[in-house]
Amino acid sequence: MSIEIKNISKGFGNFSALKDVSLNVPTGELVALLGPSGCGKTTLLRIIAGLETPDNGSIHFHGEDATDRAVRERQVGFVFQHYALFRHMTVFENVAFGLRVRPKHTRPSEAEIKRRVHELLNLVQLDWLADRYPPQLSGGQRQRIALARALAVEPKVLLLDEPFGALDAKVRKDLRRWLRRLHDELHITSVFVTHDQEEALEVADTIVVMNQGRIEQIGSPQQVYDHPATPFVYQFLGNVNAFEGHVDQGVAKIAGLQVPLNYQHEARSGSISAFVRPYDIQVRKAYDDNGALAAKLTYAHSIGPIVRLELKREDNHEFLDAELSKADFDNLNIKEGDSVYLKLKNVRVFFGNNFVI
Amino acid sequence: MSATNTHLSQYQKYNQRVSRNRATSEVAWVRYTLIAATLLFLSLFLFVPLATVFTEAFRKGAGTYFAALSDPDALSAIKLTLIAAVIAVPLNLVFGVAAAWAIAKFEFKGKSLLITLIDLPFAVSPVIAGLIYVLIFGMQGWFGEWLTDHDFKIIFAIPGIVLATIFVTFPFVARELIPLMQAQGKEEEEAALVLGASGWQMFWRVTLPNIKWGLLYGVILCNARAMGEFGAVSVVSGHIRGLTNTMPLHVEILYNEYNYAAAFAVASLLALLALLTLALKTYVEWQSAKDAIEIEQE
Repeated sequence: MSIEIKNISKGFGNFSALKDVSLNVPTGELVALLGPSGCGKTTLLRIIAGLETPDNGSIHFHGEDATDRAVRERQVGFVFQHYALFRHMTVFENVAFGLRVRPKHTRPSEAEIKRRVHELLNLVQLDWLADRYPPQLSGGQRQRIALARALAVEPKVLLLDEPFGALDAKVRKDLRRWLRRLHDELHITSVFVTHDQEEALEVADTIVVMNQGRIEQIGSPQQVYDHPATPFVYQFLGNVNAFEGHVDQGVAKIAGLQVPLNYQHEARSGSISAFVRPYDIQVRKAYDDNGALAAKLTYAHSIGPIVRLELKREDNHEFLDAELSKADFDNLNIKEGDSVYLKLKNVRVFFGNNFVI
Repeated sequence: MSATNTHLSQYQKYNQRVSRNRATSEVAWVRYTLIAATLLFLSLFLFVPLATVFTEAFRKGAGTYFAALSDPDALSAIKLTLIAAVIAVPLNLVFGVAAAWAIAKFEFKGKSLLITLIDLPFAVSPVIAGLIYVLIFGMQGWFGEWLTDHDFKIIFAIPGIVLATIFVTFPFVARELIPLMQAQGKEEEEAALVLGASGWQMFWRVTLPNIKWGLLYGVILCNARAMGEFGAVSVVSGHIRGLTNTMPLHVEILYNEYNYAAAFAVASLLALLALLTLALKTYVEWQSAKDAIEIEQE
């Protein structure tokens, strides 16, 4: 089932959580709502589920207006960040709940309920926990039970609120791959909320980047990562170094360096914000006639094959982050306190000085 | 999950409950002085009076004791106390759950006012509470004339006693449930709704099982107060023997008539009720704690 969100606004007191948000989720897609905390992503998810009412705008399920439809009639599955399992029921009863509360004429028989619940528990590979109570399970197990419970009512849409947010890093990684595989099997329209860009990039078909109640960009992981529409998206999807500068006829001047722009070749002039990823900063020991940025190495630490450098610019004493391979770092043969020269690659330029971080 | 894990956590729990960490506790003489002071205080103000009630009640023998209890006036006082409790407790159970539900799960204007109102009976002297009803429903009260015209008696009659009892015991259930329901949040209820439950199903299948021990605890306290209330009931009752006397009022009358044996006999019933309440309360606390631990450790 497809979801169309049209011009939704929602405020809580003076705080405006969503500002005129529109979004289409095509049938069968796995969409990530990505943004920092407080950007309105969870509110949007809860509005889709019917757990919050929008102040303005409408929600359409499969073309039908569902804005005023009761939660229980929306046929959505919702997985809560903290699982919200019924603590006084066994795992089996938790999963069976959605079937048991159906009106008599649509309620499956006891045998059918039993079969369905065990089928779902097998799907999440936790059938052996059927008689346990939620507090006896680990975080990852609870999350999978919560998912099985949501799937039991055969929802047309699956909504997941920070599904892996409360889990440790290792379990999180396993579970998100597992979720991706599950989605590929079931092909149920799914929307999940996350503040973790890596999670969104790895799992989703489409990423919706949100900030301060608005949608910044909608696109495939590739698109949003390689072609960020706004400085915010660029900064949110990974570490960046920010510079101010200006452009004169297609040539940018950033930190005293001439940087040719290899895209956006408009003959525009004006002040810009420029961004460079840490791995696009080249570190040299010797000055280069073509111009380089002088800096001092203040700190270096290696994490496995990568070395992260903290550099202090000589001109304005701002800090920059750079990343290079262990081998390159060893070849450079530099230590903390040494002077180095920097070159910038793949500089991303946005007109106007809209620093967002 | 695994066996070792379970044992470890059980051990830790045992450790937390039983052993004392020397680094965080006081030296021996301080501990024993405090414990001794507590015991002395408890004996003087609790155990000795309690024992006195029973010795005084039986001073003139078991025959007098049971005669005092089977006196028609005593029986009618017991009956009236039970009637008041049987009406007041279920009503306050419903009000209490409804109020706690509204306060814990929803945001609305006037919420803090509602919380204050619920606490009002705790803040107001019971005598004042009784007086309020006399001023409203009494002969000279606002509705006095209308009530007399329609031959409907509230003050100096059973309805007044029930009203006063409801007022005085109103906060118990709600006060017990509000913090509990606030701590539990509303995610489970939301989950139930999304899974297709109606409001009614959500309440019976999710909310009520989660609050059952707290609710029972509140009901027990509410009942104890309903049966033991003196001040408010005293004002509205009129002390008509055999008609509008509850047990506490009956005790007072007997005592004022120097009929100590009978007074203490009826008082001993109230004391027994208190002991029973304590036992029940302890059982409920123990049971709810056990539930929580068992679920964690099983």
